[in-house]
Amino acid sequence: MRKFLAVVKREYVQRVRSRMFLVVTVGAPLMFALFTVVPAMIAGMKAGGPTRIAVVDETGRMYERVRDALTNARDEGDEAEEGKPEAANPVGQNSSERMKQAAKAGEQDYAVEQASPDGRTTEELKRQLDERVKRDELDGYLVLPKDVLEGGEAQYYSRNVGDVFTRGRVQDGLTKAVRDARLAENNVRPEVMRAVNRPVKMATTKAGGGGEKADNGQGFFLVFGVGFVIYLTILMYGQVILGAVIEEKETRIAEILFSSIRSFPLMLGKLIGVSLVALTQFAIWGLAFAAFALYGVAVLAGQGMKVSLPHVPASVFAYLVLFFLLGYFIYATIYALVGSMVTTTQEGGQLAMPIILLLVVGFYLVFPVVRSPNSPLAFWASMIPFFSPITMLVRITTQTPPFWQIALSLAIGFATVVLLVWLAGRVYRVGMLMYGKRATIPEVFKWIRQS
Amino acid sequence: MSEQKPTLKLDSVTKRFGDFAAVSGLSLTVRAGRVYGLLGPNGAGKTTTIRMIVGITAPDEGTIELFGQRVSPALQNRIGYLPEERGLYKKMKVGDQLRFFAELKNFAGREAEAAVDRWLAKVKLSEWKRKKASELSKGMQQKIQFIAAVLHDPDLLILDEPFSGLDPVNVELLKDLVLELKAAGKTIIFSTHQMEIAERICDDICLINRSRKVLDGRLREIKRGFGRNAVALRCEGGDGVLEDRALVASVVEHSDEVEALLAPGADAQELLRRLLAAGAAVTKFELVEPSLNDIFIEEVGGGE
Repeated sequence: MRKFLAVVKREYVQRVRSRMFLVVTVGAPLMFALFTVVPAMIAGMKAGGPTRIAVVDETGRMYERVRDALTNARDEGDEAEEGKPEAANPVGQNSSERMKQAAKAGEQDYAVEQASPDGRTTEELKRQLDERVKRDELDGYLVLPKDVLEGGEAQYYSRNVGDVFTRGRVQDGLTKAVRDARLAENNVRPEVMRAVNRPVKMATTKAGGGGEKADNGQGFFLVFGVGFVIYLTILMYGQVILGAVIEEKETRIAEILFSSIRSFPLMLGKLIGVSLVALTQFAIWGLAFAAFALYGVAVLAGQGMKVSLPHVPASVFAYLVLFFLLGYFIYATIYALVGSMVTTTQEGGQLAMPIILLLVVGFYLVFPVVRSPNSPLAFWASMIPFFSPITMLVRITTQTPPFWQIALSLAIGFATVVLLVWLAGRVYRVGMLMYGKRATIPEVFKWIRQS
Repeated sequence: MSEQKPTLKLDSVTKRFGDFAAVSGLSLTVRAGRVYGLLGPNGAGKTTTIRMIVGITAPDEGTIELFGQRVSPALQNRIGYLPEERGLYKKMKVGDQLRFFAELKNFAGREAEAAVDRWLAKVKLSEWKRKKASELSKGMQQKIQFIAAVLHDPDLLILDEPFSGLDPVNVELLKDLVLELKAAGKTIIFSTHQMEIAERICDDICLINRSRKVLDGRLREIKRGFGRNAVALRCEGGDGVLEDRALVASVVEHSDEVEALLAPGADAQELLRRLLAAGAAVTKFELVEPSLNDIFIEEVGGGE
């Protein structure tokens, strides 16, 4: 036990003390902030002033509506957003939503003017407007034919036909203007129009539950979050574990260690030591994030905004932690096993690639499992240790399976971890006796049988 | 230091790797307080034998007894081991490193700390205690590795090719440290293929070749068994006498003298008489014991 703790202590202290740890711990949140804020800022940058558009209105009565639709479009857009859940879900905010926001921030003002014919033909007018576009007095112009309300085709001429955002906005604005005009012609009042356009709201409630409103899929997102954190942790720390296992091979200390300590406590000690480093780092990040989030919540609350934090029952939270640890350790021990088979870190990195794929398969299994959480597929997926951390969590948050299934899944996972650690220790020790060459898979099986 | 209970006893130990037998039927006894040389050419099975003794691997057949008990993980704490393949944690401070190795032998706390200081002072590396291992020269690292093996005051010290890669100054230092430990009553086993050093410090030896024991016993008795049949000779003239194959089996020329190996049954005094009779001016005539190297080559070289 003392020897095991000595290994844990060494792995932990050496790593936490290293400059690299400090750099990553401080640097990663900065990088993260950089990568989320900077793209949004770049996308939101305004290039030049408002977009200037002239409207040639052959109907003689559409101009006002088109102008209003284009210049007030932002307010209208906000109105349409109302249908979405008020409390922004921090977990559910994925990157595509962020992109949308960024694009919205980039939407520009429009300066709309009417190009009145004043006796000129449309052709003359168009030539004149072309000239103005050339002279950079205009960015584009819109020609509305007389029969635009009856389905006639409007023409948009623009200097920059590749500007999909502006083109989309012009089309949206025009559509709205034409639709409103059509309704008005049929004597529909504006209030009725608004009422007609209001989006439908839908709430989801778990059938047979306490009747309380469901959590907008919060649990599901939480599971995805946990899966993602496992993925991230393994991505970051798999290599570290690999390095920790290989370290004594590269520094030729392995023999000294094995003359003093059994291979199982040695492997386990390394695993735990590195994991504590990860935990320390995550705790630091977590605290920083919590402080940041609390500050944000306080600011929003100060502005009179209602902020609801995701509500998770204690039992689910306990399972989240348990399955996170299980998932982490299963993949970490695979890395340890790989490390015990190879002689250099580079070799190990290549061999470890398929491991990540296994994790990705687990992610994809979420979709069939969430659709039918009690199907045989879901059952078996949540019993296979490499997938169970994610799939079992999905089942727990959607349609909680009987306790024995959860316990069995945990037990299988735990046994797998122990087996893998034992295996890694054995392969390492026997491999060392074989003059430090890289093991092939059949050799490894042979070694496992030898001692 | 009881003579009746050997520190180490191997009884018909065999270890195979697949079809290859690394050690076959090896029996040997190491008495307490002795310096025991495990000798043999590269690949003879020395390292495998040592690895079985320190508990890195287990024998397929036969038994190994340490301090009168079957080998077990608990006994590992009483062994100090300096493997042939040795290194240090490059980024770890020397002091931390030594404490870690001691802790792996269940030796920790203030005592361990004191032992670290004492040993560092002994090899004159005290001021390097807080330096990282990567800052040390190779010679310094070798000293640190040695300290790591002896820090916990083991009763049995096993050194696998300890002198390979050492400069002459460190060879002397290591030799002195080994003899010092012997004087303190420790048992020392070391393996080497460098016979000159083994000859200088071993009490007992075991010569193994191709996984099998060739001979073992007290070094002095082994040498005696080989007889005093070589003469170190420095003389002018009398060349014809050395050509007589009935008297001299072979002659090895050194820089300023020759070594004449007597033919079986020939007498050294007869050689001297013949030389003088032939009118040679003899300035040196010395009966020499066969060197361990000669024994090694005779026993091992012939089979190559």
